Amino acid sequence: MRLIIKDDPDTASKFIADYIIDRIIVFDPTPEKPFVLGLPTGSSPVLIYKNLVQRHKAGDISFRNVVTFNMDEYVGIAREHPESYHSFMYKHFFSHVDVNPANINILNGNAPDLEEECLAYEEKIKKAGGIELFLGGIGPDGHIAFNEPGSSLKSRTRVKTLAYDTIIANSRFFGNDFSQVPKMALTVGVQTVLDAREVVIIITGAHKALALQKCVEGGVNHMWTLSSLQLHPHPMIVVDEDATLELQVKTVKYFKSIEKVANELGFQQMLPRKRDSVVEPSGPIPTLQANAANLEVPQPQISRSSSPILEAMGARISENEPQILNALDTADDVPLIRMGARVAAS
Amino acid sequence: MPAAVSSHPKLDSGVTKFTNCLLVKNNSLVQEDLWINTHTGKIIKGQEVFYGQRVAPNRIIDLGGRILSPGLIDVQLNGAYSFDFSVIPQDGVVGYAKGVRKINKDLVRTGVTSYLPTITSQKPEVYQKALPFLGPSGSSRDPSFGSESLGAHVEGPFISPSKNGIHNASVLRTAPNGLSDLESCYGAQNLTTPSPIKLITLAPELPGALNCIEELTTMGVTVSIGHSEASYEEASAATIAGAKMITHLFNAMRPLHHRNPGIFGLLGTPPSISGPPKPFFGIISDGIHLHPTSIKIAWNAHPDGLILVTDAMRLAGMPDGTYDWTNGSRIVKKGPLLTLEENGKIAGSSISLIECVSNFLNWTGASVPEALKAVTETPARMVGLEGVKGCLREGADADLVVLDLKEGKEGLKSFVVEQVWKFGGKVFEKGNANGRDEGEVGK
Repeated sequence: MRLIIKDDPDTASKFIADYIIDRIIVFDPTPEKPFVLGLPTGSSPVLIYKNLVQRHKAGDISFRNVVTFNMDEYVGIAREHPESYHSFMYKHFFSHVDVNPANINILNGNAPDLEEECLAYEEKIKKAGGIELFLGGIGPDGHIAFNEPGSSLKSRTRVKTLAYDTIIANSRFFGNDFSQVPKMALTVGVQTVLDAREVVIIITGAHKALALQKCVEGGVNHMWTLSSLQLHPHPMIVVDEDATLELQVKTVKYFKSIEKVANELGFQQMLPRKRDSVVEPSGPIPTLQANAANLEVPQPQISRSSSPILEAMGARISENEPQILNALDTADDVPLIRMGARVAAS
Repeated sequence: MPAAVSSHPKLDSGVTKFTNCLLVKNNSLVQEDLWINTHTGKIIKGQEVFYGQRVAPNRIIDLGGRILSPGLIDVQLNGAYSFDFSVIPQDGVVGYAKGVRKINKDLVRTGVTSYLPTITSQKPEVYQKALPFLGPSGSSRDPSFGSESLGAHVEGPFISPSKNGIHNASVLRTAPNGLSDLESCYGAQNLTTPSPIKLITLAPELPGALNCIEELTTMGVTVSIGHSEASYEEASAATIAGAKMITHLFNAMRPLHHRNPGIFGLLGTPPSISGPPKPFFGIISDGIHLHPTSIKIAWNAHPDGLILVTDAMRLAGMPDGTYDWTNGSRIVKKGPLLTLEENGKIAGSSISLIECVSNFLNWTGASVPEALKAVTETPARMVGLEGVKGCLREGADADLVVLDLKEGKEGLKSFVVEQVWKFGGKVFEKGNANGRDEGEVGK
């Protein structure tokens, strides 16, 4: 797991936005091979969307070939209701960028058959080739999407009854009228999130410090559903200083040192070359090598970014960096660096 | 990819999005996008189209942070560009119809997207010839026709001979027999339902006037009190009978007296559930007809009823000099000041509506949306077109004005009309000679 600790919510959000943009650019999506992005709602992601919109308006990124899947939606409130997640996404993101409305997927909380809607959603994700990057936030109780404490860690998209706490917390958005607050939601399951090839989570604020602590330092536990991320091969949690309040000093130092070394070496954690995307042709490596030139990342886009330098898939299989390649071949997760190396570096 | 303008001509959904603009909404300026459908000429709800029809905007128009307002509405316009609604030209009704079509195209370039063409007190034959050409003209929803008549405003001739202003006293009438007298003047064919007449200015103290107000109101013609000697009591009786408006408040009526507040007193009526609501009132903020303070007093008394009107006539935009007017009178134009030659009375104005809004903004301390409301939402409400004209709600007509707010010396602000859209088509762009985007207007 990568845990990135930034000074404040602004820098954490910017980091994630830049990271997503770099991922999309490196992926080089086309209509035939779109980038499939999982998206959250809530207060923490607002700043991320703001950054994404800004960079779109600056001409840095197009979302034309991005397919989106949202995490959840309330049951029984109108799509146009100001508190619906459709409205949230429209207001904060979709209406400001060039994403094709046909590529947007949000669960329909007014579907005649809710169960069918959930099953179909899973199918749609599968059809789109699986989710490349799932962006998420968490609740103070460590829930991801509406997978509240006690949700099965193997859960899939389904109808979910909201926890009492959540309904009370939400009533402020519904004129403090308890009866107006939706009691149910459709949500992707924990396993749906874990199926994504990469999961990026934003956690900011002192009120989420305990959740972060449980999910990072505690064991995998269905009472803190985000802790399931420990079982994912490529999770990244980006937090602000406030969110680290409950972590051990040792934990904070450990993750900070990893990032420091990585940054110093200009070398970041990378996704494995071999992935299970269905849209990506899984041809033999030599074929890909032939196309390596086309997959090269345009240099300016990389250097403009403040986020860690990502490598194009093609770069990784080029012959320039055989050592890295070897490392990747042997490691499934973090490229291995000896403990000793880190000590020496600091 | 540039975010500002993107076009996908292969799939013309007709959906256009204005972005990076300040919308005039509910007494505030909000940074929001506005979606319109150029096929239907209406404002649409972006989110509904986006999710429901899975349609992205066909065109995105970046307004660079400027103000996007509903198109302006002038409920008292006597003429402009050397055309006078009260004059049947030499070549008769053919020339008249041509003149109306031309004025519509010229007028729309000033940001006035709909208006009430106004006829001053004339002989019956003028009304009977002219009115068929002045009725509501928007049914074809064709942007290339320019500004749209919402129906005629007949100002007189059932007005007080002593408050005639520049109206020729010899043509004034009374209506002791009620509607039949109106019919013999305006023509029975013009007082049907629907009528080409939208608004009638009359003096309620004249014999038979109250009956007329009631009957006209039932017919759907709005009655405005004006050119009148009415006392407060007489004016109140008129509002009870159904009058909804006061024509150019302060002008051509008794001034406010503390023992007889006159027509102006209607603005002081306490709001009551049973009684009639406070009337709307027209204000000419050209700096000649009214002192700025009077405007401010009226606005404070009833902000939701204030409607800015130009009362402009055909000499607007013409050089100084003496010009023939109707009924053998002549008008002297000296700069913006128009007076009747024989008695020096103020003879309408030559100001544009947007200038009135700028003046109003500077004189009253109103906010930008409050000032624009006086030429959009409020007049639309007065003529019964709330939700259709004068607002940016979905379902309303896409009559739009893009405005820039310039601040000159001494902090004086002025609006500049930069673009005008009518029924979803761009009909004017500042700096563009013919004012049209190729292929955008006309379907």
